[in-house]
Amino acid sequence: MSQATDLSWHQNIDENGSQPPLSLQDVHVSYRTRKGSVQAVRGVTLDLKAGESLALIGESGSGKTTLGLGIVRLLVETAEVSPGKIIYRRDGRELDVLSLADGPLREFRWRDCAMVFQSALNAFNPVLKVWDQVWDTAKAHRWNNREEVRERFLDLLRFVQLDPARVIDSYAHELSGGMRQRTLIAISLLLDPQILILDEPTTALDILTQRTIIDLLRRLKEDLHFTMLFISHDLAIAAELADRVATMYAGQVVELGPVEDIFYRPRHPYSLGLIRAVPTVTGGFEELSSIPGSPPDLINLPAGCKFHPRCPYASERCSNEEPQLERVGDNHFAACWHTDAVEEDIERNGLRVRRST
Amino acid sequence: MAPIIELRNVTKYFGSGRDQVTAVDSISLDIEPGEIVCLVGESGCGKSTTGRMVVGLLPPSEGQILYQGQDISAMDKADYQQYRRAVQIIHQDPYASLNPTQTVRQMIAAPLLRHQAQRSSGSANGSGRRERRRDVERRAAELLEIVDLTPVAEFLDKYPHQLSGGQRQRVSVARALTVEPKFIVADEAVSMVDVSIRVSLLNMLSRLKDEFDVTFLFITHDLALAKYFAWEGRITVMYLGRIVEEGPTPRLITDSRHPYTQALLGAVPEADPELAKKKVHLELRSAEIPSLLNLPTGCTFHPRCPYIVEGECDTAVPLLEHISDGGSVACPVRKSEPSLIV
Repeated sequence: MSQATDLSWHQNIDENGSQPPLSLQDVHVSYRTRKGSVQAVRGVTLDLKAGESLALIGESGSGKTTLGLGIVRLLVETAEVSPGKIIYRRDGRELDVLSLADGPLREFRWRDCAMVFQSALNAFNPVLKVWDQVWDTAKAHRWNNREEVRERFLDLLRFVQLDPARVIDSYAHELSGGMRQRTLIAISLLLDPQILILDEPTTALDILTQRTIIDLLRRLKEDLHFTMLFISHDLAIAAELADRVATMYAGQVVELGPVEDIFYRPRHPYSLGLIRAVPTVTGGFEELSSIPGSPPDLINLPAGCKFHPRCPYASERCSNEEPQLERVGDNHFAACWHTDAVEEDIERNGLRVRRST
Repeated sequence: MAPIIELRNVTKYFGSGRDQVTAVDSISLDIEPGEIVCLVGESGCGKSTTGRMVVGLLPPSEGQILYQGQDISAMDKADYQQYRRAVQIIHQDPYASLNPTQTVRQMIAAPLLRHQAQRSSGSANGSGRRERRRDVERRAAELLEIVDLTPVAEFLDKYPHQLSGGQRQRVSVARALTVEPKFIVADEAVSMVDVSIRVSLLNMLSRLKDEFDVTFLFITHDLALAKYFAWEGRITVMYLGRIVEEGPTPRLITDSRHPYTQALLGAVPEADPELAKKKVHLELRSAEIPSLLNLPTGCTFHPRCPYIVEGECDTAVPLLEHISDGGSVACPVRKSEPSLIV
């Protein structure tokens, strides 16, 4: 199915020795509400390395989408990012994203860091044709050569395996869900950003369509070495596409590591709980178990470890002292007082319990 | 045993003239009491329409739906009421299916009172009213316990907006149980619930099957969930309004025969990096789903199918044929070929 498409304009990034293009330093985000301050993100420190794909996984309310929107500064007005720092680097220059004025911020979005949103239909202007929207975007970024923009966009449409003639003069509602999502990915690549943030890129798509989007994202990762941040509640997206995984819970990264470590040697009880809650199709018949309780109230967080009310290993210490990320292996970190107990549990019971068939 | 629900060549059209679509095209399905049947397929395959017809929310355009051997369109009023009580549905979106102005108590008590009034109509008199209220209160508490909303006192006076998605879905289940159903259609009932909570909801539904003899028709787009929930039951796969394959779950998952089933199984992303890498994908000839307004001739999957036999698949509508390994397949070309997927 793949067609030869000239994407030579995409600058391959030197993956060795260079500084990470994106660094989050102790980022906090809170929302003001009548009932109090909702602490959606609490102290996230994370580097996004050049050419890597990092998956932020977690359930609703874990703060993953807030964090993604915070990076491109698209949060609602009631949100406040403080304290914390977001540093963006490209070609030796360094930007403090949180202090960018409107003009440079617009440049940063899309040209440096593009975001693909969850709801592909809402991301389009319903009364503009796809091409008009693309042309508007290009002009807003002072790219005024109509022929050149069109040429580039046609290339991109071919890259995402769409028929350019069919898509370019269509309205969003005339495209299927999968076509819309591809078009959106094509538009996000228009200005050759260094970083792509993808919020639930395959959620709400049908299975076969999902597969084509996953394959497309894999080509972006493997062939073009885009630096990507995936935000998803779906462990499978992380398993399929990520080099590294960050598990988020109650606004914090509670475990961070290479994808094999998170899936086969998880050390945080929440990561393990998620893995044991999700069935596979081809993995034989597993016994599943869910995590008791429900996510915490973000206005009124429990003391100590935020996961302790739901945690099978919780001890006295967990309800008083909040654990921080600590090294548990090469490039593998977990924020838990009982990583040993998690390890023992897996040794004793296996990662997933197989039922005999 | 006689099937509790039986579909005989059921067809459903929507619209008319040139805008007419066939959402469900002559499907037949028997569900025995105590069985778990999963209906899987992508959006537009007719699985939800089928579910709505089974509970009587939509009349079929053609064909018959039988409840305990009786055609529901030919029932007298009393039998029809009994059928509507016995066959309940749990919807996908617990945010939309619960009345936001009612407390949990009100939502559960209303059908209980009505149900009780219907059962004891004629013998009702003023003096029993307080007693009846107490009965209803007790039953409401029991039902909340059954769906694991405990401590019950904490939940009775809550409004839906004070509950999480999983808790709301439990209220939906408790509400369905007020009328002691024998058959529940669960239409994507856990799709909107967070993964960590999904399993406990599924396990709760399984318990209902064992403890209260409820038979389930579980409708989902998620094959992994279908596999888990219906491991001891059957999976029926629909594509563009037709059943393309059905069979005992283990056979269907490990040795599917219809190319569409294989395409689905191969495409499902796996929450395991090694499985994800190893998995075989069936390459389709086209990624686009045909429009229901303009369905392909013959087998509706033929424009996408890699195994197409020209002159056969595009002309004749394949019939569901039994296979010796269990179940049936609507693909004469591949029905005897072992699966390459899995």
